[in-house]
Amino acid sequence: MDTTGAGALIRALEDVGCEVIFGMPGGAILPAYDPLLDSVKIRHVLVRHEQGAGHAAQGYAQATGRVGVCMATSGPGATNLVTPLADAYMDSVPIVAVTGQVARSVIGTDAFQEADIRSITLPITKHSFQVTDPADIPAVIAEAFAIAASGRPGPVLVDLPKDVQSAPATYVPAPPATRGRPAVSPVQVRKAAQLIATSHRPVFYVGGGVIRSGAAQALFRLATRTGIPVVTTLMARGAFPDSHPQHLGMPGMHGTVPAVAALQRADLLIALGTRFDDRVTGSLPHFAPSAAVVHADIDPAEISKNRRADVPIVGDCQDVIAALNAVVSRTPDLTSWWDYLNGLRSTYPIGYDWPADGALAPQYVIERLSTLAGPEAIYTSGVGQHQMWAAQYVKYERPASFINSGGLGTMGFAVPAAMGAQVGAPDRTVWAIDGDGCFQMTNQELATCAIEGIPIKVAIINNGNLGMVRQWQTLFYGGRYSNTRLNTHNRVPDFVKLADALGCAGLRCSEKSEVDGVITEAMAVRDRPVVVDFVVGQDAQVWPMVAAGTGNDEIMAARGIRPLFDEEAE
Amino acid sequence: MTRHSLSMLLRNEQGVLARVVVLFSSRGVDVERLSLRPAGELFRLDVEVALLPGRSLAQLVEQLRRLVDVREIRHVDEELELGA
Ligand SMILES: Cc1ncc(C[n+]2csc(CCOP(=O)(O)OP(=O)(O)O)c2C)c(N)n1
Ligand SMILES: [Mg+2]
Repeated sequence: MDTTGAGALIRALEDVGCEVIFGMPGGAILPAYDPLLDSVKIRHVLVRHEQGAGHAAQGYAQATGRVGVCMATSGPGATNLVTPLADAYMDSVPIVAVTGQVARSVIGTDAFQEADIRSITLPITKHSFQVTDPADIPAVIAEAFAIAASGRPGPVLVDLPKDVQSAPATYVPAPPATRGRPAVSPVQVRKAAQLIATSHRPVFYVGGGVIRSGAAQALFRLATRTGIPVVTTLMARGAFPDSHPQHLGMPGMHGTVPAVAALQRADLLIALGTRFDDRVTGSLPHFAPSAAVVHADIDPAEISKNRRADVPIVGDCQDVIAALNAVVSRTPDLTSWWDYLNGLRSTYPIGYDWPADGALAPQYVIERLSTLAGPEAIYTSGVGQHQMWAAQYVKYERPASFINSGGLGTMGFAVPAAMGAQVGAPDRTVWAIDGDGCFQMTNQELATCAIEGIPIKVAIINNGNLGMVRQWQTLFYGGRYSNTRLNTHNRVPDFVKLADALGCAGLRCSEKSEVDGVITEAMAVRDRPVVVDFVVGQDAQVWPMVAAGTGNDEIMAARGIRPLFDEEAE
Repeated sequence: MTRHSLSMLLRNEQGVLARVVVLFSSRGVDVERLSLRPAGELFRLDVEVALLPGRSLAQLVEQLRRLVDVREIRHVDEELELGA
């Protein structure tokens, strides 16, 4: 016996290539923290809240394409990981959470800091383990990493009772765990190619799976060879360059008019790594009514879940797109289809009005940020209006440059995700585009960033309100603003002072003429994190919009303007 | 509601029954009858479920298949065989 269960854990993590753990120690995980102190391969980032550790692991995973790791003690430490686990489950992010657990002898006795975290997280983890024999640790860690990263990626929990960590053990490296990749059916691929060849109004409906599988380059080839229009969902922004003329933007509730129209009027959807989420489809019976559907996904459970697929293809997007590239030859004549879509593109470009009261337009801030920070930066966001503007007004040119919480919609995601992304991509500029509400949920990780030398940049889109909720109150509750005012315009808190208190540079901007200067100033700060409080108008709204529960044909380019609906009436 | 019977082989891992049962409750599937017994190195789970209107059994089967400890869904009733 040359080590302990804890020692075996750290060596096993080193052997699977873990280079950073985001976590916080406590009683039941203390044994693991002891050998961690001596590891030269693994950096530990001490967070201020375990939720931050989980989101940081997600940000790291998405920025690097590797498995992110977070660690927490039993009980409250573990329960604080619940939100990031649920988030990673919804957005298929590969993370491994290692939690301490009370000793085996007292499990089930309501021992101090006991929580049955495996049961709590059953519906939100891809898989979980509780290790009962220290000899199993290397194999469990290898398997946990393989499960997290393979197939449809997702979160895996490894729960380690304290006595298992302390027990003497011999470290025997586990053989690398590998999990197969489904073979793509050539028959299905040929059927898809046939549909493509005979379609008149095809569209590539691209989802986050294309980014997870690293298939953006293959997609670029397929799209440019065929000339077919492309739309990228919230999770797929950057999977196809925004600057490319075939790109129509984001579909869905706050999508562009041409992207939504492309889906609605299509005769063929080629859906790649996407799950027909309700935020994209709107009312399902009204979604893409005349389209045949080719649906490729690694997860067979997603195919035909919300919309029946005419040609289902189970497989990794990289394999599927490569197979399509090999067989697609004839491409349809798309002239009249493009005429129609280009017409919409020029009539209904994404745009905004300046607030009548002279306040700063939030969309302008994000547009300038995109221009000045550029496509090589990584952008993260919270959840709300600022998230939608970040999806609409930042120009994404490469995969994994936009990291946000799509499926779960977790406020507070931006700052810790940016921290994780910055650790994974130290040479990139990382901007968290955050809301004044979201920021107040997780800004304590800025202390982590300041102390650990993780120089993220935060743009708070401070509209004084829980803006997205307020927008719904404006539109659907007669302007009765129940509990959406944050008072952040009255400087409670004062974000500049807060930034200073957290060891960051704090800047403020409320005038159009100052925006570029402030961004440039923030870009010049390299020795610590920066927070910019962009004080913007409270009444700006996110447009276009498909009201929840309605059909996509009712998309409003702006309030009361329904281009597709009116087109139908003509 | 439509009724179906499923029978699957599970790895003998701690917590595996909980994972299957939680999948049913998370997805709004009613369990009407359930039995678990050893089958060699594995466990065999026989279950009768009722699905919400509009939910497909094929999809439920795929959701069960993606559980790491579900080895095989060996027999399902005819409605599934017909792809209903
Ligand atoms: C943890 C959590 N709580 C509540 C919500 C509901 N919610 C969605 S957006 C939003 C407002 C977010 O406010 P802010 O961060 O200021 O963003 P804004 O919409 O103003 O840009 C709220 C409360 C949520 N998505 N997540
Ligand atoms: Mg706000």
